[in-house]
Amino acid sequence: MKIAVTLLVAAATLAIPPLLSASQLTIYILIGVAAMATVGLSLLLGYAGQVSLGQASFTAIGGYTAALLAIHTGYPWLGLLAAPIAAAACAALIGVPILRLRGHQLAFATLALQLILLSVLDQASWAGGAIGLQGIPRLSFGSMVLDSDVAYAYLAWVGVALTMVVARNLVGSRTGRGLRALATSEIGAAASGVPVGGYRLLVFTVSAAFAGLAGGIYAFYVGYLSPGSFPVLLSIQYVVMAVVGGLGTIWGALLGTAVVTLLVQLLSTLATRPDMPDYAPAVLSYAVYAVLLVITALFLPRGLAGSAATRGRKADTWT
Amino acid sequence: MGALLQYLVTGVGIGCGYALVGSGLVVIHRVTRVVNFAQGAFAVVAALTVSTLLTAGLPHGAAESLAVLLAGVVGLITGAVAIGRPGTTPQAALVVTLGLGVFAYAVEILAWGDQPRSFGGVPGSVPLGDARLQSHYLLIIGVTAVVLAGLALLFARTDVGRALTATAANPYAARVVGIGVTRMGLIAFALGGMLGGLAGVLLTPVHQVSFDSDVVLVVNGFAAAILGNLSRPVLTLVGGLLLGVVEVLVAGYLNSSYQTEVALVFMLAVLIVRAGRHPAAVEAS
Repeated sequence: MKIAVTLLVAAATLAIPPLLSASQLTIYILIGVAAMATVGLSLLLGYAGQVSLGQASFTAIGGYTAALLAIHTGYPWLGLLAAPIAAAACAALIGVPILRLRGHQLAFATLALQLILLSVLDQASWAGGAIGLQGIPRLSFGSMVLDSDVAYAYLAWVGVALTMVVARNLVGSRTGRGLRALATSEIGAAASGVPVGGYRLLVFTVSAAFAGLAGGIYAFYVGYLSPGSFPVLLSIQYVVMAVVGGLGTIWGALLGTAVVTLLVQLLSTLATRPDMPDYAPAVLSYAVYAVLLVITALFLPRGLAGSAATRGRKADTWT
Repeated sequence: MGALLQYLVTGVGIGCGYALVGSGLVVIHRVTRVVNFAQGAFAVVAALTVSTLLTAGLPHGAAESLAVLLAGVVGLITGAVAIGRPGTTPQAALVVTLGLGVFAYAVEILAWGDQPRSFGGVPGSVPLGDARLQSHYLLIIGVTAVVLAGLALLFARTDVGRALTATAANPYAARVVGIGVTRMGLIAFALGGMLGGLAGVLLTPVHQVSFDSDVVLVVNGFAAAILGNLSRPVLTLVGGLLLGVVEVLVAGYLNSSYQTEVALVFMLAVLIVRAGRHPAAVEAS
C-alpha cells in the first residue's frame, strides 16, 4: 500500500515538469530545493528533538561551495558534489561544541551562527562581499550541459528523492530507533546504551548535508548568489514548512514545503495584480508564514501529515 | 583617555538598551517559562510608532510614552495568543512567538513600509574633561537605571510583584493560594512588551530601525539575559552592559565590521561554557 502510494507520487511528480509553464517550473524547482533542506530540518527537529533556526546557513555554505568551485576549477559537477560535503563538514565541526546546548539555547545559538556567517560573507572579498557571486556557470557533466529549466526540475527531483531515501533509511535503522529514544528522553536513551552525543551529531550533520545539496542545486539554477539570498527568514521559512508538514515525518516535510510554497505563490500572484500596492506580496507572504506557524503550533501539534495519519488509524505512524 | 571615556559611555548606553530587551525576556521567562522570540518586535513597533507620532506633531515625551504603552498592549496580545489557550506547552508557545514575530513584519511593512526610520533624540553633548559625552546616551543610562530600579521595587514591594514572583517560583502552589497563573503570565507579557518598547524608543535615535531589526535586538537581548540563565535580572543588566561595552570598544579600537561577531561569539562562549559546567542540567523547562 505504502509502496504503491510512493510510486504513484514519484511517477506523478516525474510526469509534471514538461507540462508546466516557465513560471510554474520555477516554483517546482524552488519547492524541490526547499524540500531538501526541510527534510533535513524535520529529521533534526522531529527525531533528535533539536531546534535549529540556522538551517539556511548550511544552504548558504553549500551554495557558496558549489559556486566557488565551479567558477575557480571549471568543473561544476565537482562543486555540486562538494556542496553537501562542505556543509556536513562544517556542521560536524560546529556541532561538537554547539550540540551541548538544548532547546531555546540551541535555537538562539544556531540563529547567532547564521548572523555570524552572513556578516562574514558580507565582508569576504573572495566570496564577492555584499554584492555576491555573479556568473556561476551552468551545471555540466562532461559535454552535457544542464541549461533548460526542465533539466533543473529533474535535478531537483533527484535531489529530493536522494534526501528522502537517505532519511528513510536513517530513520528505519538502529540509529533511527536510538534517535527516537533520545528525542523522548535523553537520560533514558543514554541509560539504555544509545550513544546520545554521537547520534545527535550524526543527525545534525546529515541534516546540514541535505541543506548543502539544496544550496548547490540552487546556486547552479539561479546563477548568482549573495548573502541576501540566505536571510534569517529563510531559516524560519524552513521551520514553518517542517512544522506545518509535521515534525519527524519525511513525507510531511515534502507536503509542508509544497503547501506553504504553493499558498505563498498563489497569494503573491493575487498580490502582484496592478491594483495592489507594491509591498503586498511581502506582506502577504509574511502573514501566511506567521498564521500557518501559529495555527499549527496551537491546534495541529503533529502537523498536516501527523494529524492525517492519526485520523486514518490510531497507530503511531512516525514514518 | 577622552576617547576611552566616550567609548565607555556609548557602550554602556547601548548595553542598557540590550539589558532592557533582555529584562523583558527575563520577566516573561520567569513567570511563564516561555522564551519570547517576539521580544525584538516590541522594540521595533514602539520605535516606528514614535516616528509616526513625532511626524504627526506630538511633542517628545508624549510620543515615546504612548509608543511604550502600545508596545505593552502588543505584548499583552502576544501573551494572549502564546499562553491563552490552556495546555499550550512552553515549547509550542516559543514557536507561536516566533510566528507572531513574523506576523509583526507583515503589520510593520503595511503600516510603515520597508525603509529604515529614525528620529531625533536628545541633542548636544556634555563636556567631561577632554571628552564630550553625547547627551542621548546619558539619557538612555538614566532612564534604564530608573526603570530597572522601579521594576525591582515592583517585584519586591507590591502585591502584583509578589504574585508574579510566586508564580515564577511555583505555578501550582501559586494557583492553590488563589493567584491566577494565566493572568500573571499576561501581566508578565505586558511588562515585557513595555520593556522591549522602551529599548526600541531609546535606541532608535542612535541606531536607525527597520522592520527586520528585531532579529539583532532579540539575539543581543538573549545574549544579555543568558548570563543570568534567563532568570536573574541583575546578571542580565551586567550581561547587557558587558556586551555593549565590548561591542563599542571593538568597533572603536579594532574594526567596526566585527562588532556583531564579537557580541555573538561572546554569547556562544558563555552558553557553551555553561553547558559544559552543568552537563546533567538538561533543559527541563
